[in-house]
Amino acid sequence: MQTSEIKYTVPKSIKKDTVFTFCPGCDHGVALRLVAEVLDELNLREKSVAIASSGCSVLLYDFLDVDCIESPHGRACAVATGVKRAHKANGSDKFVFTYQGDGDFASIGLGESLHSALRGENITAICINNTNYGMTGGQMGPTSAMGQITTTSPTGRNKEYHGFPIKTAEHIALCDGVSYSARVALYDIKNIINAKKTIKKAFEYQLEGLGFSFIEILSSCPTNWKLSPSEAHKKIENELTKTYPIKVFKDIKETPNV
Amino acid sequence: MSYITIDKTKCKSCYLCADVCPKALIKKDGDTGKTGQATVRFEDKNNECLACAQCAMVCPDLAIVSVIKE
Repeated sequence: MQTSEIKYTVPKSIKKDTVFTFCPGCDHGVALRLVAEVLDELNLREKSVAIASSGCSVLLYDFLDVDCIESPHGRACAVATGVKRAHKANGSDKFVFTYQGDGDFASIGLGESLHSALRGENITAICINNTNYGMTGGQMGPTSAMGQITTTSPTGRNKEYHGFPIKTAEHIALCDGVSYSARVALYDIKNIINAKKTIKKAFEYQLEGLGFSFIEILSSCPTNWKLSPSEAHKKIENELTKTYPIKVFKDIKETPNV
Repeated sequence: MSYITIDKTKCKSCYLCADVCPKALIKKDGDTGKTGQATVRFEDKNNECLACAQCAMVCPDLAIVSVIKE
């Protein structure tokens, strides 16, 4: 007798008949799908509040079937703090996560993000690092790699004029309130599976109440890098991972705060 | 006979699935999608599909709706 087994279907936490409006080959689609799969696996859809922020990441509220708040530019972690604390005061424990871009988390909202981490707010922050301001046309961001050509650094990023890129996951890992800080990538199958495990772990740390958990997802932006989707993935594998190593920088269960 | 289902209205012709398929069963189709480029189609004449779901995992647009192993 032949039996059929479903190996993959679209996650339930993604709204029915969703068509992503991202550019062709953009890793935002993969990242959002992984988040939705983890929400399904941990059965969090009904008790989650997602905080979207400005940039391509804001489109989350159109695609994920969870309650969403759209925060001002860069202030997602501050809004998440309010949501988490207000619900806690009311006696209902909500699962709160933010979904932000690198320009949002690490440049415009660096103060809010860093101080949420220092306070050890029990939220999860996901930062999609595509090394530029994607939605507005590919301007240089704080995370643009050295020598990277963007619309506002036409001769490439150099240390005399622009300075050095920020390594968000390493910086967040230094804060004592942080339970988990890691960087993952999405350029091949192995890394996609690893990214899903990492997102799940970060979500579980929030459910256990261990403090701020953070994941930086190294993502491609084929349109603004002016590469094909597969060339963009090769660029991440061969060039960007030298600046941004794929690693877990802090895991409070393995290295507790002194 | 394992198979995948592709929703062509969602396909944006990035061809990441065609690159990743270990049996090279995903090919460019004659139809053009929203981007004006050829969408992809699944062609498995010799029942080679492993249902490994790697195509679904890399697809950024949920265009691979399901992977069924039989």
